[in-house]
Amino acid sequence: MTIGGIPLAGFLTAMLAAGLVAAAPLVLAALGEAVGERSGLLNLGIEGMMLSGAFFGFTAAYLTGSAVWGVLAGIAAGSLLGTLFAVLTVSLRVDQVLVGLAITIFGAGLTAFLYRDVFGGQNPSLSLDTSRIAIPGLSQIPIIGDAMFNQSLLFYIAFALVPVFAFVLARTRFGLQVRAVGAYPFAADAAGVNVTRIRYQAALIAGAMAGVAGAFLSVADLKIFQIGMTVGTGFIALALTMVGGWNPYRILLAAILFGLLRSLGNGLQIIGVNVRTEFITMLPYIGIMVALALLAGKTSLPAALGVPYARGRR
Amino acid sequence: MAQALGQPNSPVVEMRDITKRFGPVLANDRVSLDLWPGEIHAVLGENGAGKTTLMNVLAGMYQPDSGTIRIAGEPVRLDSPAAALRRGIGAVYQHFTLVPNLSILENVALGAEGGFVLDLAPAEAKVASMLADFGLDVSPRTEIRHLALGQRQRVEIIKVLLRGGRVLLLDEPTSVLTPGEVQSLLDLLRRLRDQGVAVVLITHKLGEALAVSDRVTILRAGRNAGDLGPDVMSGADRESVRARIIAQMFGSSPAAETDDSSMDHLPSVIPTPPRVIPTKEESRRPSRRRPEEPRFLADARHDRGAPAAARDEPTSETLLSLRNISTLGDRGAPALHDLSLDLLRGEVFGIAGVDGNGQKELGEVIAGQRPVTSGRVLLEGADITNRGVAAATRLGIGYVTDDRLHEGSVAESSVADNVALKSIGRKPFSNGFWLNRRAMEQQARRLIAEFDVKTPGPHTPIGMLSGGNIQKLLLARELALEPKVLVCNKPTTGLDLRTTQFVIRSLREQANAGNVVVLIASELDELIEISDRIGVMYSGQLVAVMPRAEADPETLGHLMLGGARRPRKASA
Repeated sequence: MTIGGIPLAGFLTAMLAAGLVAAAPLVLAALGEAVGERSGLLNLGIEGMMLSGAFFGFTAAYLTGSAVWGVLAGIAAGSLLGTLFAVLTVSLRVDQVLVGLAITIFGAGLTAFLYRDVFGGQNPSLSLDTSRIAIPGLSQIPIIGDAMFNQSLLFYIAFALVPVFAFVLARTRFGLQVRAVGAYPFAADAAGVNVTRIRYQAALIAGAMAGVAGAFLSVADLKIFQIGMTVGTGFIALALTMVGGWNPYRILLAAILFGLLRSLGNGLQIIGVNVRTEFITMLPYIGIMVALALLAGKTSLPAALGVPYARGRR
Repeated sequence: MAQALGQPNSPVVEMRDITKRFGPVLANDRVSLDLWPGEIHAVLGENGAGKTTLMNVLAGMYQPDSGTIRIAGEPVRLDSPAAALRRGIGAVYQHFTLVPNLSILENVALGAEGGFVLDLAPAEAKVASMLADFGLDVSPRTEIRHLALGQRQRVEIIKVLLRGGRVLLLDEPTSVLTPGEVQSLLDLLRRLRDQGVAVVLITHKLGEALAVSDRVTILRAGRNAGDLGPDVMSGADRESVRARIIAQMFGSSPAAETDDSSMDHLPSVIPTPPRVIPTKEESRRPSRRRPEEPRFLADARHDRGAPAAARDEPTSETLLSLRNISTLGDRGAPALHDLSLDLLRGEVFGIAGVDGNGQKELGEVIAGQRPVTSGRVLLEGADITNRGVAAATRLGIGYVTDDRLHEGSVAESSVADNVALKSIGRKPFSNGFWLNRRAMEQQARRLIAEFDVKTPGPHTPIGMLSGGNIQKLLLARELALEPKVLVCNKPTTGLDLRTTQFVIRSLREQANAGNVVVLIASELDELIEISDRIGVMYSGQLVAVMPRAEADPETLGHLMLGGARRPRKASA
């Protein structure tokens, strides 16, 4: 059985694989964002952090020839910006929205400038070997096997982190403190929790995860860097965090649905469905807006989201 | 920790000469406090007396500017709530420190030491038995948001005790409780005392303090104003103890008079003019008023010369009626309970009460700002219940909040914008779409001149002005709308003498013109000076209404603290 001249099974596998690969960086960034928001930090700098992760990850991988160094550089870049975000919003109590947007603009400008400066107008691609790792047995399952179990290491890590984050948030002391700090910092402080420290740690995690998500794009997936290559992925992750209600499993679900919608759009184009491309590429974004609209009023934001905390001021 | 708080024969906590300043406000001025194990120690005082500040200092929330704290004889620095808890001091605040979307168990575990992975199982059994012991029939896994206020309070106490707390600070613990819950809380505190816990009960409810305390410390205007030890408290003569405490809190016993910084500038500035218009009531009982009492409202009294005759026999024409009003406060607890009141044309109706007994909510109900859950509001016989602020304003009800800078004005906006704000959608400030900047500016200039507001100009952000000038503008804004009913919540707080006089005079004139002024105030002398009738609020009810002639600070203070009406006072 074929579809548009392509074997159906192959078509489905390709769709699924593309959807999951699109979902992976969203999962990474959104998991970090969930921890940040649970602690009361709304990180609108996530886009700039992803771009920085993508650029520095790409550059490091290009210079060293090692994907591992690339990913580590991406994490470092994101962490650095996450720390900057915390210094400004937690310690200096600058408005989180302003700082976040500034970091996003900064990240876009910095990476564009450095990319031109370092690579001088060439557009190199990485020639490294981020070989796919086929999981024995599982990768042989028809249709889904090749899509889910024959991917890069970072792909597996992204999805493996979902239960890890769920466990940390729900079942560890740190997670409890994060939730308390985001919901009612005064209470957390009175109970002896160091609100500042927890928020710094959460910002660091959010930054690092955004950085690694960016590195996923440039190092693991596309193997190139392009100016502004994240094209709003960070903001999508932000929306998915809310759609997923700050719950790692629901974030995973939302990210996969988004990824599949996007690959479906591409698939429809490939098999020549006669719809304008603009409409098809809009699909996943419309999906997000519909989801957000449906969930409006049903989700409960962390009560102290966006609110700086100062002891003695209530 | 607990063992360090040992010997029952020495205080566990000694606070010496604690001073704490917030900007220009001296919240604690060389306050000292000793706490003993196995005792309930009530800290009494009016609002603003510095009770909560003192407690926050001990709980590690605030750092004192000077003074020392010793725990079991050892000087300590409590630089965070965690540090205080480690020393065995735990606080239960009026605003509970429980995270609503976490379970009881998680709230107890929050901040406790332990490994990375949260193992709640061992704590669960302990919490469950404590909950049962405290009469709470809920699972430790219940989220806090599903609990009633009284239950949350018990969870707070359990939290402190499980963290090793041996000194338990409670800030107005009964303000959120029903009378039945109050009784069982007091029983619980007695039990904790018997287990050797030092319980600090910060309250302004005298009855409760007398019922359970072994020791009482009275604060007034940020200073120690009295101490009663166990010998006095366990003495047989409740009435004399009560009278003594009331005198120390409100009265003008010689010691308190020299102590009272909020009053001491008044007598020196204002000469003592003879009373201008003694009412029948007063001339009959000249001795009711102390000769040394400051007549700081002399001007206001001059001004109300002519209508004063009318004041004694108010034109019994009701302008505004409240019928069996009940409403909820900001935290969802009942704030007003079945309250009825008739306001008569031409009167200033004063409302006395300790903060948090429903005065603010009453003002907001009249202003249309707070919906009632039952009951009716009638303006000149027409039902205006729950019609909202805009309708109330249109119908001639004005409201001046006590929160000048947040609720009353937009600090960053200009004087002109703020003056126009309440009627910004109407002529002359607007034709429905475009603003008439010139009309706004003219109005601002007119009010600035008329009310003698000190401002560089109408375009200055209102937040740059002093509190007194903001107050004048807010009052001017309301008066310019020519309200029939004007509610003012603490309009003279923080104002200098001249501005105070001015505000009082404006209110008096407003009433003399046949309107109603409702004045909520904490300065009892001032309230007595200006009001025609005075109502006392306690626990969301008007517990007494009396003509001015029958009011004096001691009587009002007694009623404000939940005391029974003395028989010799007849109801108005």
